[in-house]
Amino acid sequence: MELKAFTQLILPTQGRLFRLAKLFLRNREEAEDTLQEVLMKLWSHRQQLESYQNVEAFAVQMTRNLCLDKLKSKEWQSRAGEANWEEVEEQKVSPYQQVELSDSAALMRKLIDELPETAKLILHLRDVEEYSFEEIEQVTGMNVNHIRVVLSRARKEVRDKFLKIQAYESGH
Amino acid sequence: MNLDIEQLIEKYYEGETTLEEEQELRAFFLSENVPAHLENEAKQFRYFGQTRKEQPSAGVSYRTVTQLSKRSKVRSLNSWGLRIAASLTLLVVGFGAGIWYTQHEGGLSEENSHVAEMKKTLQAPEQTSASERILAVNQSYELAQGDEEITQILLNTMNFDENVNVRLAACQALQRFENEQIVRDGLIQSLKIQTDPSVQLALIEALVLMKEKRAASEMLRLAQNQKVLEIVRLKAEEGVFHLKQEKQTNNT
Repeated sequence: MELKAFTQLILPTQGRLFRLAKLFLRNREEAEDTLQEVLMKLWSHRQQLESYQNVEAFAVQMTRNLCLDKLKSKEWQSRAGEANWEEVEEQKVSPYQQVELSDSAALMRKLIDELPETAKLILHLRDVEEYSFEEIEQVTGMNVNHIRVVLSRARKEVRDKFLKIQAYESGH
Repeated sequence: MNLDIEQLIEKYYEGETTLEEEQELRAFFLSENVPAHLENEAKQFRYFGQTRKEQPSAGVSYRTVTQLSKRSKVRSLNSWGLRIAASLTLLVVGFGAGIWYTQHEGGLSEENSHVAEMKKTLQAPEQTSASERILAVNQSYELAQGDEEITQILLNTMNFDENVNVRLAACQALQRFENEQIVRDGLIQSLKIQTDPSVQLALIEALVLMKEKRAASEMLRLAQNQKVLEIVRLKAEEGVFHLKQEKQTNNT
Protein backbone atom coordinates (compact mmCIF):
# COMPACT_ATOMS: atom_id res chain seq x y z
CA MET A 1 0.00 0.00 0.00
CA GLU A 2 1.33 3.38 -0.95
CA LEU A 3 1.66 6.15 1.57
CA LYS A 4 -0.93 8.22 -0.23
CA ALA A 5 -3.52 5.49 -0.17
CA PHE A 6 -2.69 4.83 3.44
CA THR A 7 -3.15 8.42 4.52
CA GLN A 8 -6.40 8.64 2.58
CA LEU A 9 -7.65 5.58 4.34
CA ILE A 10 -6.44 6.34 7.83
CA LEU A 11 -6.26 10.07 8.26
CA PRO A 12 -10.03 10.60 8.27
CA THR A 13 -10.18 8.43 11.35
CA GLN A 14 -7.41 10.15 13.21
CA GLY A 15 -9.74 12.53 15.00
CA ARG A 16 -11.71 9.59 16.31
CA LEU A 17 -8.64 7.68 17.33
CA PHE A 18 -7.34 10.76 19.09
CA ARG A 19 -10.57 11.33 21.01
CA LEU A 20 -10.68 7.71 21.98
CA ALA A 21 -7.12 7.85 23.27
CA LYS A 22 -7.95 11.03 25.14
CA LEU A 23 -10.98 9.38 26.67
CA PHE A 24 -8.76 6.75 28.21
CA LEU A 25 -5.62 8.72 28.91
CA ARG A 26 -7.28 12.07 29.80
CA ASN A 27 -4.33 13.98 28.46
CA ARG A 28 -3.94 15.71 25.15
CA GLU A 29 -0.25 15.09 24.63
CA GLU A 30 -0.43 11.47 25.63
CA ALA A 31 -3.37 11.00 23.31
CA GLU A 32 -1.45 12.56 20.44
CA ASP A 33 1.53 10.34 21.15
CA THR A 34 -0.73 7.35 21.18
CA LEU A 35 -2.34 8.41 17.94
CA GLN A 36 1.07 8.59 16.37
CA GLU A 37 1.99 5.17 17.67
CA VAL A 38 -1.24 3.75 16.29
CA LEU A 39 -0.60 5.28 12.88
CA MET A 40 2.90 3.84 12.87
CA LYS A 41 1.61 0.44 13.79
CA LEU A 42 -1.08 0.58 11.16
CA TRP A 43 1.51 1.56 8.62
CA SER A 44 3.68 -1.39 9.52
CA HIS A 45 0.62 -3.61 9.11
CA ARG A 46 -0.38 -1.94 5.88
CA GLN A 47 -0.17 -5.14 3.85
CA GLN A 48 -2.80 -6.73 6.03
CA LEU A 49 -4.94 -3.61 6.17
CA GLU A 50 -6.20 -4.16 2.66
CA SER A 51 -7.68 -7.45 3.70
CA TYR A 52 -9.63 -5.95 6.58
CA GLN A 53 -13.21 -5.10 5.82
CA ASN A 54 -13.39 -2.44 8.44
CA VAL A 55 -10.08 -0.74 8.91
CA GLU A 56 -11.54 1.78 11.29
CA ALA A 57 -12.80 -0.87 13.69
CA PHE A 58 -9.35 -2.41 13.61
CA ALA A 59 -7.72 0.94 14.28
CA VAL A 60 -10.11 1.66 17.12
CA GLN A 61 -9.39 -1.69 18.70
CA MET A 62 -5.70 -1.10 18.36
CA THR A 63 -5.99 2.32 19.97
CA ARG A 64 -8.01 0.99 22.84
CA ASN A 65 -5.56 -1.82 23.50
CA LEU A 66 -2.62 0.50 23.35
CA CYS A 67 -4.28 2.88 25.81
CA LEU A 68 -5.15 0.11 28.21
CA ASP A 69 -1.59 -1.16 28.03
CA LYS A 70 -0.34 2.30 28.81
CA LEU A 71 -2.70 2.69 31.74
CA LYS A 72 -1.52 -0.61 33.10
CA SER A 73 2.15 0.23 32.75
CA LYS A 74 4.02 0.97 35.95
CA GLU A 75 5.43 4.15 34.51
CA TRP A 76 1.96 5.47 33.93
CA GLN A 77 0.68 4.54 37.33
CA SER A 78 3.54 6.25 39.08
CA ARG A 79 3.09 9.35 36.96
CA ALA A 80 -0.66 9.54 37.35
CA GLY A 81 -0.19 9.94 41.07
CA GLU A 82 1.84 13.08 40.69
CA ALA A 83 0.06 15.03 38.03
CA ASN A 84 -3.43 16.21 37.50
CA TRP A 85 -4.23 15.50 33.92
CA GLU A 86 -7.44 17.47 33.75
CA GLU A 87 -7.23 20.31 31.37
CA VAL A 88 -9.33 23.34 30.85
CA GLU A 89 -11.26 23.43 27.64
CA GLU A 90 -11.18 26.35 25.32
CA GLN A 91 -14.62 27.69 24.86
CA LYS A 92 -16.21 30.54 23.06
CA VAL A 93 -18.91 31.36 25.52
CA SER A 94 -19.38 34.19 27.96
CA PRO A 95 -17.08 34.07 31.00
CA TYR A 96 -19.86 33.22 33.40
CA GLN A 97 -21.25 30.51 31.20
CA GLN A 98 -17.76 29.33 30.56
CA VAL A 99 -17.10 28.74 34.21
CA GLU A 100 -20.34 26.93 34.60
CA LEU A 101 -19.91 24.98 31.41
CA SER A 102 -16.36 23.97 32.05
CA ASP A 103 -17.33 23.03 35.56
CA SER A 104 -20.07 20.78 34.38
CA ALA A 105 -17.87 19.54 31.54
CA ALA A 106 -15.11 18.66 33.95
CA LEU A 107 -17.63 16.96 36.19
CA MET A 108 -19.12 15.12 33.25
CA ARG A 109 -15.71 13.94 32.19
CA LYS A 110 -14.95 12.76 35.67
CA LEU A 111 -18.21 10.84 35.84
CA ILE A 112 -17.60 9.19 32.49
CA ASP A 113 -14.11 8.43 33.56
CA GLU A 114 -15.41 6.58 36.58
CA LEU A 115 -17.37 4.20 34.38
CA PRO A 116 -16.06 0.69 33.77
CA GLU A 117 -13.84 0.45 30.73
CA THR A 118 -16.37 -1.22 28.42
CA ALA A 119 -19.20 1.09 29.40
CA LYS A 120 -16.96 4.08 28.86
CA LEU A 121 -15.96 2.83 25.44
CA ILE A 122 -19.49 2.08 24.30
CA LEU A 123 -20.87 5.37 25.58
CA HIS A 124 -18.07 7.24 23.85
CA LEU A 125 -18.42 5.41 20.55
CA ARG A 126 -22.17 5.91 20.51
CA ASP A 127 -22.72 9.38 21.90
CA VAL A 128 -19.57 11.09 20.78
CA GLU A 129 -18.60 9.26 17.62
CA GLU A 130 -22.15 8.31 16.62
CA TYR A 131 -21.31 4.71 15.86
CA SER A 132 -24.09 2.38 14.83
CA PHE A 133 -24.62 -0.67 16.97
CA GLU A 134 -23.14 -2.82 14.22
CA GLU A 135 -19.96 -0.78 14.30
CA ILE A 136 -19.77 -1.03 18.08
CA GLU A 137 -20.26 -4.74 17.71
CA GLN A 138 -17.27 -4.94 15.41
CA VAL A 139 -15.07 -3.06 17.82
CA THR A 140 -16.09 -4.71 21.05
CA GLY A 141 -17.12 -8.14 19.83
CA MET A 142 -20.25 -7.94 22.02
CA ASN A 143 -23.74 -8.58 20.69
CA VAL A 144 -26.22 -5.78 20.11
CA ASN A 145 -28.47 -6.56 23.06
CA HIS A 146 -25.61 -6.58 25.45
CA ILE A 147 -24.34 -3.32 24.00
CA ARG A 148 -27.76 -1.72 24.49
CA VAL A 149 -27.87 -2.81 28.10
CA VAL A 150 -24.40 -1.49 28.85
CA LEU A 151 -25.13 1.73 26.98
CA SER A 152 -28.38 2.35 28.80
CA ARG A 153 -26.80 1.68 32.14
CA ALA A 154 -23.88 3.98 31.39
CA ARG A 155 -26.12 6.83 30.24
CA LYS A 156 -28.27 6.54 33.32
CA GLU A 157 -25.37 6.28 35.66
CA VAL A 158 -23.78 9.44 34.35
CA ARG A 159 -27.06 11.32 34.47
CA ASP A 160 -27.97 10.15 37.95
CA LYS A 161 -24.62 10.96 39.43
CA PHE A 162 -24.58 14.29 37.69
CA LEU A 163 -28.03 15.22 38.96
CA LYS A 164 -27.09 14.12 42.42
CA ILE A 165 -24.04 16.32 42.53
CA GLN A 166 -25.93 19.23 40.99
CA ALA A 167 -28.69 18.91 43.59
CA TYR A 168 -26.11 18.70 46.33
CA GLU A 169 -24.35 21.82 45.12
CA SER A 170 -27.47 23.88 44.53
CA GLY A 171 -28.64 22.94 48.02
CA HIS A 172 -25.84 25.07 49.44
CA MET B 1 -42.74 18.78 20.60
CA ASN B 2 -41.76 18.74 24.22
CA LEU B 3 -43.63 15.55 24.75
CA ASP B 4 -41.85 13.99 21.85
CA ILE B 5 -38.55 15.12 23.24
CA GLU B 6 -39.29 13.75 26.65
CA GLN B 7 -40.27 10.44 25.15
CA LEU B 8 -37.12 10.45 23.13
CA ILE B 9 -35.09 11.20 26.24
CA GLU B 10 -36.73 8.27 27.95
CA LYS B 11 -35.91 6.04 25.01
CA TYR B 12 -32.41 7.39 24.95
CA TYR B 13 -31.71 6.34 28.49
CA GLU B 14 -33.06 2.91 27.76
CA GLY B 15 -30.60 2.57 24.92
CA GLU B 16 -33.45 2.26 22.46
CA THR B 17 -32.99 5.35 20.32
CA THR B 18 -31.71 5.15 16.79
CA LEU B 19 -28.86 7.28 15.56
CA GLU B 20 -31.32 9.62 13.85
CA GLU B 21 -33.32 10.09 17.01
CA GLU B 22 -30.17 10.79 18.93
CA GLN B 23 -29.23 13.40 16.35
CA GLU B 24 -32.60 14.99 16.86
CA LEU B 25 -32.04 15.08 20.59
CA ARG B 26 -28.62 16.58 20.15
CA ALA B 27 -29.95 19.28 17.84
CA PHE B 28 -32.64 20.08 20.34
CA PHE B 29 -30.30 20.37 23.29
CA LEU B 30 -27.77 22.43 21.40
CA SER B 31 -30.38 24.98 20.42
CA GLU B 32 -30.95 28.08 22.50
CA ASN B 33 -34.46 27.39 23.72
CA VAL B 34 -34.09 24.45 26.03
CA PRO B 35 -36.78 24.46 28.70
CA ALA B 36 -35.45 25.01 32.22
CA HIS B 37 -36.55 21.64 33.52
CA LEU B 38 -34.47 19.89 30.87
CA GLU B 39 -31.41 22.03 31.39
CA ASN B 40 -29.63 19.37 33.39
CA GLU B 41 -30.24 16.74 30.76
CA ALA B 42 -28.75 19.10 28.23
CA LYS B 43 -25.39 19.07 29.98
CA GLN B 44 -24.69 15.53 28.94
CA PHE B 45 -25.47 16.18 25.31
CA ARG B 46 -23.49 19.37 25.29
CA TYR B 47 -20.54 17.62 26.76
CA PHE B 48 -20.63 14.96 24.07
CA GLY B 49 -21.04 17.60 21.38
CA GLN B 50 -18.06 19.43 22.73
CA THR B 51 -15.94 16.34 22.95
CA ARG B 52 -16.74 15.52 19.36
CA LYS B 53 -15.08 18.73 18.23
CA GLU B 54 -11.74 17.85 19.72
CA GLN B 55 -9.03 17.24 17.17
CA PRO B 56 -5.39 16.38 17.47
CA SER B 57 -3.16 19.34 16.80
CA ALA B 58 -2.46 19.79 13.13
CA GLY B 59 1.22 19.13 13.72
CA VAL B 60 0.61 15.56 14.74
CA SER B 61 -0.70 14.24 11.48
CA TYR B 62 1.84 16.23 9.53
CA ARG B 63 4.65 14.90 11.67
CA THR B 64 3.32 11.41 11.39
CA VAL B 65 2.99 11.49 7.65
CA THR B 66 6.47 12.90 7.11
CA GLN B 67 7.83 10.32 9.49
CA LEU B 68 5.99 7.61 7.63
CA SER B 69 7.24 8.72 4.25
CA LYS B 70 10.79 8.86 5.55
CA ARG B 71 10.35 5.54 7.17
CA SER B 72 8.87 3.89 4.13
CA LYS B 73 11.86 4.93 2.04
CA VAL B 74 14.46 3.97 4.58
CA ARG B 75 12.57 0.89 5.49
CA SER B 76 12.23 -0.71 2.10
CA LEU B 77 15.89 0.01 1.45
CA ASN B 78 16.75 -1.21 4.86
CA SER B 79 14.86 -4.40 4.76
CA TRP B 80 16.41 -5.47 1.46
CA GLY B 81 19.80 -4.04 2.19
CA LEU B 82 19.72 -5.60 5.60
CA ARG B 83 18.68 -8.95 4.31
CA ILE B 84 21.46 -9.07 1.78
CA ALA B 85 24.00 -7.72 4.23
CA ALA B 86 22.91 -10.20 6.85
CA SER B 87 23.15 -13.17 4.50
CA LEU B 88 26.55 -12.04 3.28
CA THR B 89 27.79 -11.56 6.81
CA LEU B 90 26.55 -14.98 7.74
CA LEU B 91 28.30 -16.55 4.79
CA VAL B 92 31.57 -14.78 5.52
CA VAL B 93 31.42 -15.59 9.19
CA GLY B 94 30.61 -19.20 8.42
CA PHE B 95 33.48 -19.58 6.00
CA GLY B 96 35.84 -17.73 8.28
CA ALA B 97 34.92 -19.86 11.24
CA GLY B 98 35.27 -23.00 9.16
CA ILE B 99 38.70 -22.09 7.89
CA TRP B 100 39.90 -20.95 11.26
CA TYR B 101 38.56 -24.06 12.89
CA THR B 102 40.12 -26.52 10.49
CA GLN B 103 43.45 -24.72 10.62
CA HIS B 104 43.67 -24.52 14.35
CA GLU B 105 42.04 -27.79 15.05
CA GLY B 106 44.21 -29.47 12.41
CA GLY B 107 47.39 -27.81 13.64
CA LEU B 108 46.72 -28.64 17.20
CA SER B 109 45.63 -32.16 16.64
CA GLU B 110 48.63 -32.78 14.40
CA GLU B 111 51.03 -31.73 17.08
CA ASN B 112 49.07 -33.47 19.76
CA SER B 113 48.83 -36.68 17.80
CA HIS B 114 52.60 -36.58 17.18
CA VAL B 115 53.31 -36.27 20.84
CA ALA B 116 50.74 -38.88 21.74
CA GLU B 117 52.06 -41.26 19.15
CA MET B 118 55.60 -40.69 20.33
CA LYS B 119 54.68 -41.32 23.91
CA LYS B 120 52.77 -44.42 22.98
CA THR B 121 55.62 -45.80 20.94
CA LEU B 122 58.28 -45.14 23.54
CA GLN B 123 56.27 -46.36 26.48
CA ALA B 124 55.60 -49.74 24.92
CA PRO B 125 59.02 -50.79 23.67
CA GLU B 126 58.13 -54.49 23.58
CA GLN B 127 55.42 -53.86 20.96
CA THR B 128 57.44 -51.68 18.62
CA SER B 129 60.54 -52.12 16.53
CA ALA B 130 63.78 -50.27 17.22
CA SER B 131 63.50 -48.17 14.10
CA GLU B 132 59.98 -47.09 15.05
CA ARG B 133 61.28 -46.00 18.41
CA ILE B 134 64.16 -44.08 16.83
CA LEU B 135 61.64 -42.35 14.61
CA ALA B 136 59.59 -41.51 17.65
CA VAL B 137 62.62 -40.14 19.45
CA ASN B 138 63.48 -38.04 16.42
CA GLN B 139 59.97 -36.63 16.44
CA SER B 140 60.91 -34.78 19.59
CA TYR B 141 63.03 -32.51 17.39
CA GLU B 142 59.80 -31.15 15.95
CA LEU B 143 58.74 -29.85 19.32
CA ALA B 144 59.56 -26.25 19.99
CA GLN B 145 60.26 -27.01 23.60
CA GLY B 146 60.17 -30.14 25.61
CA ASP B 147 57.88 -30.64 28.50
CA GLU B 148 58.75 -32.60 31.57
CA GLU B 149 56.84 -35.63 30.47
CA ILE B 150 58.68 -35.88 27.19
CA THR B 151 62.13 -35.43 28.70
CA GLN B 152 61.25 -38.08 31.25
CA ILE B 153 60.23 -40.44 28.51
CA LEU B 154 63.42 -39.72 26.61
CA LEU B 155 65.51 -40.28 29.73
CA ASN B 156 63.82 -43.59 30.35
CA THR B 157 64.38 -44.57 26.77
CA MET B 158 68.04 -43.61 26.99
CA ASN B 159 68.56 -45.59 30.17
CA PHE B 160 66.46 -48.64 29.63
CA ASP B 161 65.79 -49.25 25.94
CA GLU B 162 67.11 -52.61 24.91
CA ASN B 163 68.45 -51.30 21.62
CA VAL B 164 71.73 -49.38 21.61
CA ASN B 165 70.78 -47.24 18.67
CA VAL B 166 67.57 -46.14 20.30
CA ARG B 167 69.46 -45.27 23.46
CA LEU B 168 71.97 -43.27 21.43
CA ALA B 169 69.22 -41.44 19.60
CA ALA B 170 67.55 -40.59 22.87
CA CYS B 171 70.86 -39.36 24.27
CA GLN B 172 71.33 -37.08 21.29
CA ALA B 173 67.74 -35.88 21.44
CA LEU B 174 68.17 -35.00 25.09
CA GLN B 175 71.15 -32.78 24.35
CA ARG B 176 68.71 -30.30 22.83
CA PHE B 177 67.28 -29.73 26.27
CA GLU B 178 70.62 -29.19 27.96
CA ASN B 179 69.35 -26.15 29.81
CA GLU B 180 66.98 -28.24 31.86
CA GLN B 181 68.33 -29.39 35.19
CA ILE B 182 66.45 -32.65 34.98
CA VAL B 183 68.20 -33.48 31.71
CA ARG B 184 71.67 -32.72 33.12
CA ASP B 185 71.01 -34.80 36.22
CA GLY B 186 69.65 -37.56 34.06
CA LEU B 187 72.72 -37.64 31.86
CA ILE B 188 75.08 -37.84 34.86
CA GLN B 189 72.96 -40.62 36.34
CA SER B 190 72.99 -42.41 33.04
CA LEU B 191 76.78 -42.45 33.07
CA LYS B 192 76.61 -44.84 36.05
CA ILE B 193 74.05 -47.05 34.41
CA GLN B 194 75.23 -47.35 30.83
CA THR B 195 77.39 -50.32 29.96
CA ASP B 196 77.50 -49.97 26.23
CA PRO B 197 80.70 -48.25 25.05
CA SER B 198 79.15 -46.19 22.30
CA VAL B 199 76.52 -44.74 24.58
CA GLN B 200 79.14 -44.13 27.24
CA LEU B 201 81.26 -42.27 24.71
CA ALA B 202 78.29 -40.21 23.56
CA LEU B 203 77.41 -39.32 27.13
CA ILE B 204 80.96 -38.25 27.98
CA GLU B 205 81.10 -36.13 24.88
CA ALA B 206 77.75 -34.54 25.62
CA LEU B 207 78.62 -33.75 29.23
CA VAL B 208 81.94 -32.22 28.25
CA LEU B 209 80.15 -30.06 25.68
CA MET B 210 77.71 -28.99 28.34
CA LYS B 211 80.63 -28.22 30.65
CA GLU B 212 78.93 -30.17 33.35
CA LYS B 213 81.54 -30.22 36.13
CA ARG B 214 79.50 -32.39 38.41
CA ALA B 215 80.10 -35.21 35.96
CA ALA B 216 83.88 -35.15 36.57
CA SER B 217 83.89 -37.54 39.52
CA GLU B 218 81.75 -40.03 37.69
CA MET B 219 84.06 -39.86 34.69
CA LEU B 220 87.06 -40.37 36.93
CA ARG B 221 85.41 -43.51 38.29
CA LEU B 222 84.85 -44.75 34.72
CA ALA B 223 88.44 -43.98 33.82
CA GLN B 224 89.67 -46.09 36.72
CA ASN B 225 87.22 -48.95 36.13
CA GLN B 226 89.13 -51.81 34.54
CA LYS B 227 85.97 -53.49 33.31
CA VAL B 228 85.26 -50.63 30.98
CA LEU B 229 86.58 -50.70 27.47
CA GLU B 230 89.87 -48.98 27.06
CA ILE B 231 88.70 -46.39 24.55
CA VAL B 232 85.97 -45.37 26.96
CA ARG B 233 88.48 -45.07 29.79
CA LEU B 234 90.66 -42.83 27.64
CA LYS B 235 87.67 -40.75 26.63
CA ALA B 236 86.62 -40.43 30.25
CA GLU B 237 90.10 -39.36 31.24
CA GLU B 238 90.08 -36.79 28.49
CA GLY B 239 86.71 -35.59 29.63
CA VAL B 240 87.87 -35.22 33.21
CA PHE B 241 90.89 -33.31 31.96
CA HIS B 242 88.73 -30.98 29.92
CA LEU B 243 86.33 -30.32 32.74
CA LYS B 244 89.15 -29.68 35.20
CA GLN B 245 90.83 -27.33 32.76
CA GLU B 246 87.55 -25.55 32.43
CA LYS B 247 87.43 -25.29 36.21
CA GLN B 248 90.93 -23.87 36.39
CA THR B 249 90.40 -21.26 33.70
CA ASN B 250 87.22 -20.31 35.47
CA ASN B 251 89.08 -20.02 38.76
CA THR B 252 91.96 -17.89 37.50
